[in-house]
Amino acid sequence: MSRVVDHASGTEQAPQLTSAPQQGAAREPGSIRPRTSWANLREALHAEWTKLRTLPGTFWLLSAVAVLTIAISVASEAAVTCPAADCGQDPAKVSLIGVEFGQSVAAILAVLAVCGEYSTGMVRVTFAAMPRRSTVLAAKSLLIAGLTLLAGTIAVLGSLLIGRLVMPGKGFTAAHGYPSLLSLTDGSVLRAAGGSVLYLTLIALLSLGIATLIRESATSIGVVLALLYLSPVIGAVVTNPHWHNRIERYAPMNAGLSIQATRDLAGMPIGPWEGLGVLAAWAAGSLLVGGLALRLRDA
Amino acid sequence: MTSTTTATPYRTGMQSVRDGFTQLLHSEWTKFRTVRGWIIGMVVAVLLTIGFAVLTASGGTIGCGGPNPSDQHTGAACRITPPLGPDGEVVSDSFYFVHQSLSGNGSLIARVTSLTGLHAPAGIMQAGTGTSGMTPGTQPWSKAGIIIKQSDTAGSAYAAMMVTGSNGVRMQYNYTHDVAGAPGAVSASSPRWLRLVRSGDTITGDYSTDGTRWTAVDTVKLPGLPQTVQVGLFAASPDYVVVNQSFGGSSAAGGPTLATGTFDNVAVQGASSGDGWTGDYMGTPRARAGEPEFVTPFKQSGGEFTVTGTGDIAPIRDAGQPIEQGLVGVFAGLIAIAVVAAMFITVEYRRGLIRLTLAASPRRGRVLAAKALVIGVVTFVAGLIAAAVSLPLANHISYNHGEYILPVSALTELRVIAGTAALFAAVAVFALAVGTLLRRSAATVTIVIVAIVLPYILAVASVLPAGASEWLTRLTPAAAFAVQQTLVAYPQVTASYTPAEGYFPLSPWAGFAVLCGYALLALGLAHLRLSRRDA
Amino acid sequence: MEAAIEVAGLRKRFGSAQALDGLSFAVRSGQVTGFVGPNGAGKSTTMRVVLGLDAPDSGTALVSGKPYRTLRHPLSHLGSLLDAAALQPSRSARNHLLWLAHSQGLPARRVDEVVEQAGLGSAIRRKAGGYSLGMRQRLGIAAALLGDPPALMLDEPFNGMDPEGIVWMRGFLRSLAAQGRAVLVSSHLMSELQDAADHLVVVGRGKVIADTSVAELIAAASGDRVALRTAARTQAMTVLANAGATVATTGLDTLTINGLTADRVVALLNASAVPFSEVSAHRATLEEAYMELTREAVEFRAAPADDEGAAR
Repeated sequence: MSRVVDHASGTEQAPQLTSAPQQGAAREPGSIRPRTSWANLREALHAEWTKLRTLPGTFWLLSAVAVLTIAISVASEAAVTCPAADCGQDPAKVSLIGVEFGQSVAAILAVLAVCGEYSTGMVRVTFAAMPRRSTVLAAKSLLIAGLTLLAGTIAVLGSLLIGRLVMPGKGFTAAHGYPSLLSLTDGSVLRAAGGSVLYLTLIALLSLGIATLIRESATSIGVVLALLYLSPVIGAVVTNPHWHNRIERYAPMNAGLSIQATRDLAGMPIGPWEGLGVLAAWAAGSLLVGGLALRLRDA
Repeated sequence: MTSTTTATPYRTGMQSVRDGFTQLLHSEWTKFRTVRGWIIGMVVAVLLTIGFAVLTASGGTIGCGGPNPSDQHTGAACRITPPLGPDGEVVSDSFYFVHQSLSGNGSLIARVTSLTGLHAPAGIMQAGTGTSGMTPGTQPWSKAGIIIKQSDTAGSAYAAMMVTGSNGVRMQYNYTHDVAGAPGAVSASSPRWLRLVRSGDTITGDYSTDGTRWTAVDTVKLPGLPQTVQVGLFAASPDYVVVNQSFGGSSAAGGPTLATGTFDNVAVQGASSGDGWTGDYMGTPRARAGEPEFVTPFKQSGGEFTVTGTGDIAPIRDAGQPIEQGLVGVFAGLIAIAVVAAMFITVEYRRGLIRLTLAASPRRGRVLAAKALVIGVVTFVAGLIAAAVSLPLANHISYNHGEYILPVSALTELRVIAGTAALFAAVAVFALAVGTLLRRSAATVTIVIVAIVLPYILAVASVLPAGASEWLTRLTPAAAFAVQQTLVAYPQVTASYTPAEGYFPLSPWAGFAVLCGYALLALGLAHLRLSRRDA
Repeated sequence: MEAAIEVAGLRKRFGSAQALDGLSFAVRSGQVTGFVGPNGAGKSTTMRVVLGLDAPDSGTALVSGKPYRTLRHPLSHLGSLLDAAALQPSRSARNHLLWLAHSQGLPARRVDEVVEQAGLGSAIRRKAGGYSLGMRQRLGIAAALLGDPPALMLDEPFNGMDPEGIVWMRGFLRSLAAQGRAVLVSSHLMSELQDAADHLVVVGRGKVIADTSVAELIAAASGDRVALRTAARTQAMTVLANAGATVATTGLDTLTINGLTADRVVALLNASAVPFSEVSAHRATLEEAYMELTREAVEFRAAPADDEGAAR
């Protein structure tokens, strides 16, 4: 018995931190290759792409982003009228309102890409295969951003196209002050359209960061939707103009959606690009915090 | 050889218990309370509800004062306490009153031969320009007629017969009550006779087209009417309101208006003061247009009286903040509730626990019912605590910041608090049912939050025209927020009665019933799926 | 010779529970090392630390002489199977292996090779969620083999396998070791390892209790005890006790003798003409040896510290 224990304690002197890595490097052919993070990222992208495309939910969620965005936009286009000149309506906002709905689906897509792995424990397999966790997060971010960009483009173009067909019949005519209705040749419409696609992408990234931090899907999506949807509700209630202004400027949804405005820009609490910038800061912040937690916490 | 060993089947020594629903409830409750995260979720829901309400209330500051910095104040110093009517609601009591006193029983008769009006379309009158910038035309609820009023104190009881801009002859009393008489506009060729008869504290209003054949509009009681009252002619005209719907909400523009009534055949029967008629502004003349430099409010030549007035005798809304503003945090609380309620079932699917649950109680419908009851009761209690703390606390803070909180009856306040608790419970059951249907927590939470919060956002804080907003708050689960509404829409007051202004198209409990309908539908489908599908 | 897996002085605490308490051992190539200990002894935690999934409070874990997280293509250094259920159920088994292969820059062809090796066969295109636990173990083995690594680390690979599967797994582990690979297999059932492991690392309460070859362990546990079967029990006890042995009755006609060799027992009994039917040197089973070793180290912890609550 005592002999056995001696044997065990004998191994404690085995690891020699100074010599061991060099020996390992010499022996393993794999480690001769240069450790470029690009190659890491490329492989992580390939792996994460295979993961995403082999989950049936991905396709359905992306379709839902486009379909639901367009559906709500079309409902809004059908509901809003412009009975006379100077009716004060912003056709870009009217026809892109579906983004407020589509963003929730984009958020699910992003949250599930992370939390789906935590709920099954597959995340351990992932990190055993790709120990550089920030690379995995970067790969996930790029792919989710790309996919949302694609679905968002379809959603926005679809909404605008139907708006161009429907809205003239609702009084949005040249006579009422809308000469080039929802035309992408109009710089501000192009900004609203492109900005809305970016908005959806940034919402997905914001959600991805939050999900990486929280790990549990229901709580993550709850936090994301609270962050997005509470500010407009509070903003509608707060009477103090100072506070109201702050919400409009710094809340992710309020600030981000200012990119959709094409009229009365001077009266807005925050400019379109500045507003989208605020959302981008939110997304970057959440990815940063999520990435940091990913590095520091046990998988 | 046939020796069969007959083993006695094993029987448990434990006391046999009824296979009751109570047990199932008990087991589901144990399941709920032993997950720390869910208890924390409930606490978070309560704290979020209170926290957001307090934050919002603290963020509101009323400022007031004149052009000089020394005259400027903020907070409680700026609070304006409006007059209250006999029923306890906030009222406007401004009009021009040509009156004398009447002691004891008696009656008042007058014939109205015309009602005309003026309004300022731009909403702004320049001092000294008189009425020259105004456009002719009455408002729908411009009014002139006869009135019996308790006293000249603002908010005192009254009963009146009147002709209106476009709502015909009306009998109105004590601000909130309005009874229709004959329709149609009044003119010299089509005059209206109006009569009020006092008998004790009962007043009867009649009208006639010829002064001989009278039609009774209503007989009303004004409890506690004193022996001596003021009777006479009046004219009032509410501000005109134009509601513009545009992106970012609706904006209401308006301006002061004037109404002028022409009377003859004025007769008072009974113990009147007898020293002729006196003209007085009642309440605060809110519109400059009513000031004497513009018009002469009262002319009497022979038997003809011309009375011009502005203002209104009616309930008003914008004098303060409704109590439901103290519940703005409910949205945040509901999100937490939806997350916990969805997980209460989806976690069972994720970990295969549902098989154990169904093995322990194979009657699946009862499992679902027990879960719904447990989560419903737990969230009801959480909602009750949240609302009962948040509402008075936030309103107290708002009050100290200078807001006037619109008074409501204790019963109404109770309804708002209990309704909010019920709202929590209904959302939780809805989330549970959707979770049973979908078995996926992220999708469930999203659907529930989007179904409840997004329609509200679209209806209240977006571009949609009032019609679309009303349909959203009528058909979607967001209709349930009506249960928090204390504001009353009065047909005799022109205003923007939209969801954005706090007016839901459905009555409180009808709106709540819409959400319950969704929850029950989802529960039914969930039951079907749970029974038919493999676990 | 350098060890394929090497941990030194690992300490890790989860709240109030000391999961690892200065754990050190090395796994050598060409043999199957059993990693055994009672539930909650720290086996899974150690494996997660080796894979860089959990960070130790102190100590090091090296794979091919380097920290796992610095490896370029880690699956070609160490193949691992932690939890066979750790996969997304709606994805097919083949696609699960495919993304793993892509993460290492391996071609899809490699997937088909390991599928063949692990004996998964045609089930590979089915959704992994529908797999039995035994099938998932095979899928996990396939994943561990993807990078054709010189070392493998498997956590409870016998779990949920049918007897045929267990036999297959034993042979499979032996063949991997025979190819010169280092194989670390954790288990809490010694019988599973009886014919599979060459070497054992026994842990309890986060410490290494024994690090020894299987042969040595059994020899140590057997001691110099002799089992005797005799009809004349009392006579035999007297004779042997007089010769200085400790004798214990273990059955109606069986005795265990401590302190004398089998030859000496036979000689003494013959000299006193005590009849006996069988004398044998006692040989402990691996199970017995292990039980003796861990008797003091067994930790009665209902819930291991690393158990993930369903509610989080």
